[in-house]
Amino acid sequence: MTHDELDVLLQDTLKAEVAASADRLIDLEARIIEELGERRPRLRWDQWLRQLIAPTSGARLGQVAVIGATAAIFLFIGLSLSDRTLPGSSLDRAFSESDTPQVALMPLGSADHTQGVVFVWPAPPDAKAVAVVGDFNGWEGTDLSDADGDGIWTASIPLAPGRYEYAFIVDGQWKGQDPLADEYIQSFGAFSSVRYIGRGGDGA
Amino acid sequence: MIARRMRRCLIVVALVSMLALTASGQIPLAEFEQALHSIPVSNPEFILSSIEWGMTQPDFPALELLRLIDRLAGHPAPSFEKEALLLVLAHASGDGLPIEGLVSKALEGLARNVSPQAIEQGLSVRMNLLAETRDLLYSKGIFSAPAGSPQTVAATIPMERFNQLLIHISEPIGDFLEGGGSPFDGHVLYQEVRNRLTQLQGVTLLPEDVELVLDRIEPSDLTQVALAAVS
Repeated sequence: MTHDELDVLLQDTLKAEVAASADRLIDLEARIIEELGERRPRLRWDQWLRQLIAPTSGARLGQVAVIGATAAIFLFIGLSLSDRTLPGSSLDRAFSESDTPQVALMPLGSADHTQGVVFVWPAPPDAKAVAVVGDFNGWEGTDLSDADGDGIWTASIPLAPGRYEYAFIVDGQWKGQDPLADEYIQSFGAFSSVRYIGRGGDGA
Repeated sequence: MIARRMRRCLIVVALVSMLALTASGQIPLAEFEQALHSIPVSNPEFILSSIEWGMTQPDFPALELLRLIDRLAGHPAPSFEKEALLLVLAHASGDGLPIEGLVSKALEGLARNVSPQAIEQGLSVRMNLLAETRDLLYSKGIFSAPAGSPQTVAATIPMERFNQLLIHISEPIGDFLEGGGSPFDGHVLYQEVRNRLTQLQGVTLLPEDVELVLDRIEPSDLTQVALAAVS
């Protein structure tokens, strides 16, 4: 048998094998395609990003819009809170410059231009009632609470930007000097504390 | 038939009035009258007329004033002392001065168990300071104008903004004097006023208003205001 005859014989044999397995291969191919359709391939981040921003799909543009909006919201919240929590804020100064911080005012911005000002009072363990009085509540006490019993009494009061005079009442005793106050004033022979809430004051 | 229709009309008018009052956030004058009656005061008409006029002004603290009258009604002090305190507020309101700071100070005094007589003395000085401060601003060419009116003079400020300036110039002077300061410390008074105005600049006061005032007043002006108020 010559080489040519051998080649022809081999080709015929292979063709016969392929023809015999054709149905099985088609079936296998169909199963693979089906399985690939069900399982999304795990993409690298750059592949995922490229797929995400592909301009051919309206749905993907929508995804981009949603993610962009979410990122913008988080960025806004972050920027809003950054100047209140970075070193130099009133709360930081409260616990760095004074050994016995009495009040912390922590404005939390909100959409109605009021700020939730947190009043904090570390009271003795035997304290029974702590309240804050000021021109923002008609000098009627707003109770502070100490839910976890750690001696730190707190209350949050929404206040618009402006100037506020206040004092604390601990078991009936007036405490007018808050170390964190922007200033103190003498009123009826006793001290009151003053805080400025807003852009011009430290409470901002 | 006609009488029934008129009765219906009256009911409708009353309901509409109540709704309008509620919507505007105003307190009916009858509530003030009732509260004054429970003190009681000898001249409720004068106080009521000043309240009625005050309620037409911007930033009139109607709710706080009613709260003050209610607290005075339950106070054990003689009624003439309580009436004297209210008369200071009535005079101030009748004179067109902003009384929100005075009312708050009175509420603070009562909360601190200060007698109405002592509160009234303190309020009188502060009312004089408001009036003298207004005169000072007028003398410096800074005027107020009713809301909506055209500003024909360059330094005419709408009344609400003008009143805020009055409050935040006169209050630091009052606080300084109450803390034992001397009216002759004009530079200290000026610094106190300057601090207050700049702290609120861009917050509750417009920067141009603050600049206008600080540009035109001097320490000696504040000494004169303080002296006139306490004399």
